[in-house]
Amino acid sequence: MARVKASDACATAGLVSAYLDGQLLPGELDVVVEHLNGCAECIAEFHALREVRAAVRTLPYLEVPDRLLPDTHPGEQLSAYLDGQLATAEHDFVLSHIDYCTDCRLELHELDAARTAIRSLPGLEPPEFTSVQRDRIERERWSRRRVATAGLGIAAAAALFFATFGPSSSPVGDLDINPYLDQHQARVSVEPGINFIPAIAPVGGTP
Amino acid sequence: MADEVTPTWEDVARTYGRKIYNFAYRLTGNPDDAADLVQEVLLRVRKGLSSYTPGSFDGWLWRITRNAFLDDVRKKKRRPTSPLPDDERNIAASSPSPDEVLASVRLSEDIQSALLKVPLDFRECVVLCDVVGLTYEEIAEAVEAPVGTVRSRIHRGRKMLRELLTWPV
Repeated sequence: MARVKASDACATAGLVSAYLDGQLLPGELDVVVEHLNGCAECIAEFHALREVRAAVRTLPYLEVPDRLLPDTHPGEQLSAYLDGQLATAEHDFVLSHIDYCTDCRLELHELDAARTAIRSLPGLEPPEFTSVQRDRIERERWSRRRVATAGLGIAAAAALFFATFGPSSSPVGDLDINPYLDQHQARVSVEPGINFIPAIAPVGGTP
Repeated sequence: MADEVTPTWEDVARTYGRKIYNFAYRLTGNPDDAADLVQEVLLRVRKGLSSYTPGSFDGWLWRITRNAFLDDVRKKKRRPTSPLPDDERNIAASSPSPDEVLASVRLSEDIQSALLKVPLDFRECVVLCDVVGLTYEEIAEAVEAPVGTVRSRIHRGRKMLRELLTWPV
């Protein structure tokens, strides 16, 4: 094979790396191969660059720290996915994830089953009363009214009796609350915090 | 990854996270910077996927990666990179023999140290080619330069490394 002239060496020297990488353009391969067969200088460069290339490629491939990668499971997004409540990007994310993630696919099926079960519960309608049931309810209602009326009558009679014949010193209608109000105001003036009584003391709180 | 299908953000994180980390680590020699870059790139990918037009996904991704890296470099005003940390031996894959492990670590340190001395334009092309494994066309798309320029940068970058490395290794 004819030796490539020195001027050609300059033109092809820059192609040695591309030759190593198999990245030569069509038509260049023959030129470079022919040149390498005849140029000791370029052959030496070819070997040197091949060593460099191999050395860089021996660099260990490092594992990316786990913390850098996202939590790759949808989690709570699964329920929202079932309900059609996800934004488009999230929806696509879940859709693609369950395509290959068995765990999440199983979880999605379980959530779907639970959702279906809840949604399949029958809706409750108000009961329809028969005429017999309606009559019975009416009778019970009137019966309760009569008892209540009788009770009121007895209470009124008793009040009249005590008003007429009971002790006159402490009639219920004459209860005087003014002393109690005076006492209360006196206490409030001394202890402002007692002007009301909370219904329920807070749990674990100060009294 | 198929050119016609737009991957999800999760796919990108799972498929490319390690590559991005290695790219960043070899370019910076700093695990913290590499970690920051991975997070930044994944964030940009997540934001950008909605507007991504199916095509050369690798070119698109590595262009984002490179731009994120350059932004970080500019932000830090090209602060000096630190040498390879001693604990790399805990991260790197090791061979059974302690001597081989030691030799491997020393070789890695030598190569990493030499890489950091190569100008960035050349270093990134060499790393994208030899560490990440991109084709020249993909590198050209990533660094937004003609393929001929990429070819020249890889060649010259390797020649610089050849001068910097102590042989025989």
